[in-house]
Amino acid sequence: MKNLMGFSLLLGTAVIAGTVTAQSATVLYNERVVAIEQTLPDASDLWVTPADLTRINDFVLKPEGACLADLCIPVLQDRDSDMYVTRSGQGWFNVTGLADKLEQAHVTDYADSIWSFGAMPLERRAFFRGGEAPDFALPDRDGNIVRLSDFRGKKVLLLTWASW
Amino acid sequence: MPVWQSIYEELKSENFEIISFAQDTGGEAAAGPIFDAGNVTYTTVIDVNHHISALYNLVNVPSGVWIDEAGKIQRINEGTYAAVHANGAFGTDEYVPIVRDWVAKGADSEYVWDLEQVRANIFQRTPEAEMAQPAFRIGTHYFTLGNDAKAEQYWTMAQELDPTSWNYLRQDLQYEDGGSAGPAWRERRTQIESAGGTYYAPLGIEPAGAANN
Repeated sequence: MKNLMGFSLLLGTAVIAGTVTAQSATVLYNERVVAIEQTLPDASDLWVTPADLTRINDFVLKPEGACLADLCIPVLQDRDSDMYVTRSGQGWFNVTGLADKLEQAHVTDYADSIWSFGAMPLERRAFFRGGEAPDFALPDRDGNIVRLSDFRGKKVLLLTWASW
Repeated sequence: MPVWQSIYEELKSENFEIISFAQDTGGEAAAGPIFDAGNVTYTTVIDVNHHISALYNLVNVPSGVWIDEAGKIQRINEGTYAAVHANGAFGTDEYVPIVRDWVAKGADSEYVWDLEQVRANIFQRTPEAEMAQPAFRIGTHYFTLGNDAKAEQYWTMAQELDPTSWNYLRQDLQYEDGGSAGPAWRERRTQIESAGGTYYAPLGIEPAGAANN
């Protein structure tokens, strides 16, 4: 575990390969398991196309930056930066770079190219400051998505348990 | 489970819902039969990634959160047993009556915490501990793929990143000799309790403000 974390810190600066070769990845984001067919090979960061960015975390790359609802993180797109590069006409977005800007925890299995992300602190600011219950979207046993926000107007007793 | 079902039947007509999350990497096969045996009709989710505990900073099971009609938390992070268990070793009969009081009186219930109490009872994690959830999530992904060695690697990593989580420890121990309440669990519990820690946050059953009286 310590080696993995040290590895990630040492290679904090992105090294972008000059040529693009297909390298797939699996991204775990909330309950999503997103298969990415092609990433930009990189020793430490996850670079994906703007379309795959949206598949991963719903952020949309717009002229003003990477946006999710009212939130926009500025991203230079007319030249290469630590967040966005263009190779052979294809734009690549640094997903882990975005997570770092958002102070979002992430862990990677580099050998198998599996990238796993925690919750965005922004999503939980109202929880810590104002005691607002964070919303969630998880499937019930019939596969229907359960959202806390579907229960507005009711008192909700949220319980956790386990079979073990 | 049968106790919660009876509470639900008693109170569901009063704008009240129970959402129950089974935190089981074993999924439907592990938790489903227990829901079924309880003839549960409230909302049930099998939370293989322990998503809710990560989101609400819960450290053990069972835990409970009270959420009002507007989505505000009114109690959080308590060991919410519905009853004293048969052997008398754990559990409590004191929790269900305060749930009843809350459903009847809402914000006027003396068991509703104010914002200051809610904030004080939200468990605080270090930035390193925040990495435990994505690590655990990778472990569960590998477990689903049948790669037990990699699953163990990342579940262990999650425990090391967040040693305050009983959930990550006990879930993992389920797959080892002795199980989730065996010698390894007892040793860890003794260590934490002898250092002044608690297995569950203490149930603050006394009415809000009682400490000032």
